[in-house]
Amino acid sequence: MNPDNAMIKIDSLNKSFGHIKALDNLNLEIEKGELLGIIGPNGAGKTTTIRIICCILQPNSGEVTVGGYSIHHDQIKIKSMIGYLPEEPNLYERFKARELLRYFGELYGVPKSQINCRIDELLELVGMENRAEDRINTFSKGLRQRIGIARALIHDPDVIIFDEPTMGLDPATSRTIRNFIKNLKGDKTVILCTHYMDEADLLCDRVAILNQGKIRDIGTPKYLKEKIHGDIILEIRAHEPEKIDTQRITAFESVKGVNLEGDQFLVSLHNREDISKIIDIFGNQAFSVNTKEPTLDDVFIQSV
Amino acid sequence: MNMNFFTITRWEFKNTLKSKKFLLIFFMQLSVLFMLIIMFNSFEASMQSEGAISLTPSLTDFATLDVDDEGGLFEKRINPEILKIYLTNGNQSLDRLKTGQTNGFYNVSSDSITQIQKGEIVDTTLYLDYSDPKRSVIRDEINTTTQTLSTALTSSYLQSVNPQNNSNTSGVKEEKTGESLPMQLIKKVMLSVLLFLPLFLFGNIIIDSVVGEKERKTGEILVAMPISSGEILLGKGLAVVAISALQVAMWIIVLIGAGFSIHNVILVYLMVVFTAIPIVGLTSIIAAYAKNYKEAGIVISFAYIIVVGFLIVPALAYISRESYSANISPMTTVMRLFTGDTISMPEILLPVVFVLIMSVITFWIAAYLFKRDDILFGPRPGPVSLLLQLIGIKK
Repeated sequence: MNPDNAMIKIDSLNKSFGHIKALDNLNLEIEKGELLGIIGPNGAGKTTTIRIICCILQPNSGEVTVGGYSIHHDQIKIKSMIGYLPEEPNLYERFKARELLRYFGELYGVPKSQINCRIDELLELVGMENRAEDRINTFSKGLRQRIGIARALIHDPDVIIFDEPTMGLDPATSRTIRNFIKNLKGDKTVILCTHYMDEADLLCDRVAILNQGKIRDIGTPKYLKEKIHGDIILEIRAHEPEKIDTQRITAFESVKGVNLEGDQFLVSLHNREDISKIIDIFGNQAFSVNTKEPTLDDVFIQSV
Repeated sequence: MNMNFFTITRWEFKNTLKSKKFLLIFFMQLSVLFMLIIMFNSFEASMQSEGAISLTPSLTDFATLDVDDEGGLFEKRINPEILKIYLTNGNQSLDRLKTGQTNGFYNVSSDSITQIQKGEIVDTTLYLDYSDPKRSVIRDEINTTTQTLSTALTSSYLQSVNPQNNSNTSGVKEEKTGESLPMQLIKKVMLSVLLFLPLFLFGNIIIDSVVGEKERKTGEILVAMPISSGEILLGKGLAVVAISALQVAMWIIVLIGAGFSIHNVILVYLMVVFTAIPIVGLTSIIAAYAKNYKEAGIVISFAYIIVVGFLIVPALAYISRESYSANISPMTTVMRLFTGDTISMPEILLPVVFVLIMSVITFWIAAYLFKRDDILFGPRPGPVSLLLQLIGIKK
């Protein structure tokens, strides 16, 4: 990537909570208009990273710049540039939807002459124009998430950060929100923290795999899938898996790895021509054979 | 600093006034104020008049006593609210006592008046049933009556020896000028307490405003706004000061309406509201550090006891000794202002400067705490460790 085009630069970032090291010398660059996914297990440091970018947490050491501004010196500038949707869209329950957007609009310094138009525009965008005068405490989780998105966009930020935006939502609402995030691509710089690999696969330009406070790998979903696995994953279930000689399988040049999960072997390989030879090794032991393309789920499990 | 904190103040103020919780607190406070006024007036009246409300509980008909007192010396002085008296000639009273029809029998010598005039001791006999638990009430009441009578007789004897001491002989009743110390204490301190009371009734609004951000996890979004932590706390604190100012104004109107005499009303009002600032600052410190409502509530209760002590003790000291240093408490100044006392400029400046310094210190500490992500999101340092960090001993 072109470093001059970087919107967010993270350099040697460290953060500890007591004795727990949440971020360990983290380095990352995100380009303008890029949609970067951050995936990782619980406690990997995803939320800590985005909280530091949003100037909510202070790092122990290291530097983060957003649009050239440093988190150590220009926090107000950075905060003005970012729209942040936390994992739980905790909103002021007693506010009405319109009131809430107005409150945050005023805090972000949206001009009073524009604020009403902006609120109407966003309510329409998230499909909540009919609920503008309803109190937040009457909203379902999906509606709260939508109003949370509208709140994060009220000041038309250059950078938008979503932390698990579809967590716990029904498939229809998740799809609406994913489509919405997809539409932001190119126009805004977006960071998407997610547990859903298919979501990252579908939406992200690049995906960073974070574990124990470090970036384990980063690249396009395609690159990661190819790098971690081969082109194909062969799933073979065996009656007595312990009787299978895995060394004979790994002896094939095209085989990149063999994993055993229960009674199922996962063999990742490049060359389709080796499939029949590998099945022969199993002989009568094999009672189920399947092939599939690798997914980010496989990448994630392999990486962490 | 931009003026974003005004946005927070405006919204907090508006939402507090709209909230049902606040309205409930507000009307409860007003009813407490009315009750205090009624209680104060009754208490004052009972202090100034013998026939006014008595705080002694009535024991009417609790115990009965047969009295044989031909001269009527004792009988009229026994409190009828405590003992029900049956006048007898003594013939059947001992039988009545034995059969439980009465709780005691008091026999006074028939020539008691003559004995007193001669300076002799009056013969009296009290018969009680020692198995009856009510006997101690009767014995105490008879002792009290005897003491009262003895004091009255001594006073009467002294006046007869020195007739010039009798101020009623000329038809002019003697009056003292000024109030007694107890009445001064009650009147001044009571009114001062009533004026300062609203400042201590809004702790829960600050808790709700600051601790609530942590408990509801809305603090994360608020901290992500382009506004500093100091401005957030300042905005929230100012809203509470504004609500306190509104409340104090209403209380002053009610107190004046109830007949309290308050001189220098505007200065009194400004001083009370000004005092609200460091109290709100102190509450903000506790709220910024507290993990939850419960913890904040407990600490605030203790902190407010100390603050109330700091306000009241110098005021009491000023009433009794008029010491200059007692002026450090804004309550002393307010008390002197509403009584129309003449106050020099240094005496006014002392509490004003003190309140100002405390306001800056408390809000600075509160902002420092609210800015720290370990306090907002955890793990929170302990109070001792935090104190050492605050004074620069520990990093």
